[in-house]
Amino acid sequence: MTKVTINLTVNGKAVAAQVEPRWPLAEFLRDHLRLTGTHVGCDSSQCGACTVHVDGVAMRSCTLFAVQADGCDVKTIEGISSGNALHPMQKAFHENHALQCGFCTPGMIMSALDLVRREGYELSEETIRHNLEGNICRCTGYYNIVKAVAAGARAMRAGAAT
Amino acid sequence: MYVGQSLPRPEDFRFLTGRGNFVDDIKPPNCVYLAFLRSPHAHAKIVRIDPKAALACSGVLRILTAEDWTKAGLGKLVCVHPMPFTDGRPMREVLRPVLASGEVHHVGDVVAAVVAETRYQALDALEAIDVEYAPLPAAVKTGSAIDDGAPIVHEQFGTNQINEITRGDKTATAAAFAKAAHTVAMTLTSNRLAGSPLEPRSYVADYSPQTDQCTLWATTQVPHMLRRWICKYALFISEHKLRVISPDVGGGFGQKVNFCVEISTVVWMARELKRPVKWTSTRMDALLSDTQARDHVSKAEMAFDNDGKILGLKVDTIAALGAYLSNFAPSIPGNSYPQTITGLYQTPALDLRVRCVYTNTVPIDAYRGSGRPEATWVNERLLENGAREIGIDVVEMRKRNLLKPSQFPYKTPVGRTYDSGNPPLLLEKLVALAKYQELRAEQKRLREKGVLMGIGIAAFLDKSGTGPSKQLSTRGGLHGGFESATVRVHSDGKVTLYSGSHSHGQGHSITFAAIAADRLGVPVEDVTVMQGDTDTVPYGNGTWGSRSASVGGSAIYRASEKIMVKATRLAAHLLEADVGEIIYENGLFSVRGKNLSISFAEVADAAYHGARYPDDPGFEPGLEVTIFYDPPDLNDPEAMHLAVVEVDRGTGRVTVKQYFTVDDMGTIINPMIVEGQVQGGLAQGIGQAMMEHVIYDDEGQLLSATFMDYAIPRASDMPALKSDYICTPAPSNPLGVKGGSETGTIGPPAAIGNAIVDALWHLGVRRIELPFTPHSVWQALRAAGA
Repeated sequence: MTKVTINLTVNGKAVAAQVEPRWPLAEFLRDHLRLTGTHVGCDSSQCGACTVHVDGVAMRSCTLFAVQADGCDVKTIEGISSGNALHPMQKAFHENHALQCGFCTPGMIMSALDLVRREGYELSEETIRHNLEGNICRCTGYYNIVKAVAAGARAMRAGAAT
Repeated sequence: MYVGQSLPRPEDFRFLTGRGNFVDDIKPPNCVYLAFLRSPHAHAKIVRIDPKAALACSGVLRILTAEDWTKAGLGKLVCVHPMPFTDGRPMREVLRPVLASGEVHHVGDVVAAVVAETRYQALDALEAIDVEYAPLPAAVKTGSAIDDGAPIVHEQFGTNQINEITRGDKTATAAAFAKAAHTVAMTLTSNRLAGSPLEPRSYVADYSPQTDQCTLWATTQVPHMLRRWICKYALFISEHKLRVISPDVGGGFGQKVNFCVEISTVVWMARELKRPVKWTSTRMDALLSDTQARDHVSKAEMAFDNDGKILGLKVDTIAALGAYLSNFAPSIPGNSYPQTITGLYQTPALDLRVRCVYTNTVPIDAYRGSGRPEATWVNERLLENGAREIGIDVVEMRKRNLLKPSQFPYKTPVGRTYDSGNPPLLLEKLVALAKYQELRAEQKRLREKGVLMGIGIAAFLDKSGTGPSKQLSTRGGLHGGFESATVRVHSDGKVTLYSGSHSHGQGHSITFAAIAADRLGVPVEDVTVMQGDTDTVPYGNGTWGSRSASVGGSAIYRASEKIMVKATRLAAHLLEADVGEIIYENGLFSVRGKNLSISFAEVADAAYHGARYPDDPGFEPGLEVTIFYDPPDLNDPEAMHLAVVEVDRGTGRVTVKQYFTVDDMGTIINPMIVEGQVQGGLAQGIGQAMMEHVIYDDEGQLLSATFMDYAIPRASDMPALKSDYICTPAPSNPLGVKGGSETGTIGPPAAIGNAIVDALWHLGVRRIELPFTPHSVWQALRAAGA
């Protein structure tokens, strides 16, 4: 299949690549850029494990073609924190035991960050539960994820204030 | 003491930052890709497979059919837990071929495979394979699979019945029913589920022709068993030539125990092509190919005396096992289900018959709960309907029937002995936690306002810690029930544990480290846990059936104990004292009454320096112990659940408003981890109760083949939850632990079902079908004329 050239920014770095038009963005990130933190769980936008930020907005990278990200600014779980320091949302997931197998976790965190962007730092349980409907976790029963997102959001406000 | 503390998990960091190492993340250089062509028919003869056009597709290296497999002289998959007829006749066994030969038996059955340079090339070529089928009638519905005239899945048998297992005493049960004051009869269906760990299965094999050595990275809960199965049954290669690595695995739930149909082809092709080969399941592959679960239809009856005491239980179950026998499939309805069918009650007489059947559907095998949710659904629905028929409150009904602590160890009419427990205390705690009387008052108030609130309970036991190897073999098992552990103390006193268990989310690293750290008297940070590599870990039986803490954990405990015996002897030698004079506290060996001491790290240093050690016969340098721990018994976690629901009378929509759990898991090592297991199990139990349902149409087409059609609980589906615990330590292991990860899946169908019937009883509703979708509940209302 003929490849086309795309130019985009991934985690702050400029990327130029030749891609097949049928490659999902998730596949491009995982197989070609080797950013394997973005996971594919359902291939149909149902589970949210592949959630990344495209121009600051949470998107499902399993049903977005890589060519659609041409010219975009893409952020993945690998771009959330640097070195050994955790982002407050990542830290909240750890402190609240909000992950077990860890497969849904990157997508959960990317969705949670988008939720904070849209709804602010003070999130009710109902708001969190409703907004995480697009992310399936098969391990935790969501109780600790809900706690972690609320705690992470509050910690982000504290971080933003300093 | 670290045991009892909620210590956080060290592995979190790599998952939180996207640095996990799942199988699909592995991409060796020069890797080629496999794709599998799946049957579009539930049952058909394969008339012809023409690969010509596919072979001409770009990048294609091989097209494989059953003929190639046979020519290569290779084997089949294996059922490692056969269940014969109770009268001794062998079960009717059809093992799964790696590629369907002559006939396909379910939609998704593997017909051919393509190896190509890229995944897309492999998928493109699949579409070019020309297969002609001659469709045959399909047996799809479990309840009618052994009716006269039902289509036959494997014609050589002339029947779909695989075996017939009977338990209990038919005559005594008939006598109990004859003198009963009340009986309740029901047909109860346990819905078919797709376990669906979020990470799809994936396999990568890499072969070195120079050494004839192959490495398989696999999404498996049982790396050693998988290696044995591939080598012994499918590919006939030596175990030392195959290394199985199970790196980070994204959930298992029993489904990743199984020797899945695609694995052998990946290894076979890596050896043939001498290039790395990879296959990763799509979600649709998973729903067409991952083993499914439950799918029972039971006619059941319970007899009571005038006071509501159970006199007898009669159950006649048809259990679907799908198109082929998967590894453990027969043992689920054949062992786990009968062993838990009478639950926590004193049931004096049981008459149980289970007939396993073939249907033209995806094979069934273990999925979290595995037999116990099916059993609890039967036992608890009968008991609550009995209570309501007789007019006894459901809590009072249980008080009259529960086993008393003094009756343990308790031998059930199935022949199984429950090890320990305190069911009345579980009930007392549950009633207090849920504020049961207040709930009843609220129900009354809401009823007056026209709100249909219901309260339902489920009391049940799990069965975990498999399990003495010899006992397992008497039940039919062709595999061991022990677990391995190596405790390696390094020369600086730091420790690496190697465990034959496999964590795929359960947090073994911190749990096992806590056990060893306590026993060795070292900081928990000084202990690292390794797992999932057949070249570095001694043979283990892996993680399933809630066995890791009680069997794997006990193995670590016992090995650590042996380390301490040796370290103490060495310390005594170095301190020129008798072993009896040595006191070990806070990482220091000291001599009683003297100002002499030496640290654990110094003893380790001496062990590896090898310059000074006692001349005792057989005393060796080094400080490392490997053991294979075979537990003396299983253990019996017990639990009770209470669900509060509201039912919308117009639409049948059920909302689970509140949920309460009380568990007896014996000693709890890490409360945070255990609570996580309760909550996660509950989501899967609520999934079975409320929405999850694998559906085939009458021709055997799978209608629930994506996550758009197979519903899984979301964050907004979970009720408010309160959990509590009691502790009766398991008598059979040194830690006193019982299995802690399956009770969540066992109770919800019965507890929520009972709650719905409670809400609708006054409207004439007596029966309710799983899952409790608005459609199901609306139909129940309509059937009752409400």
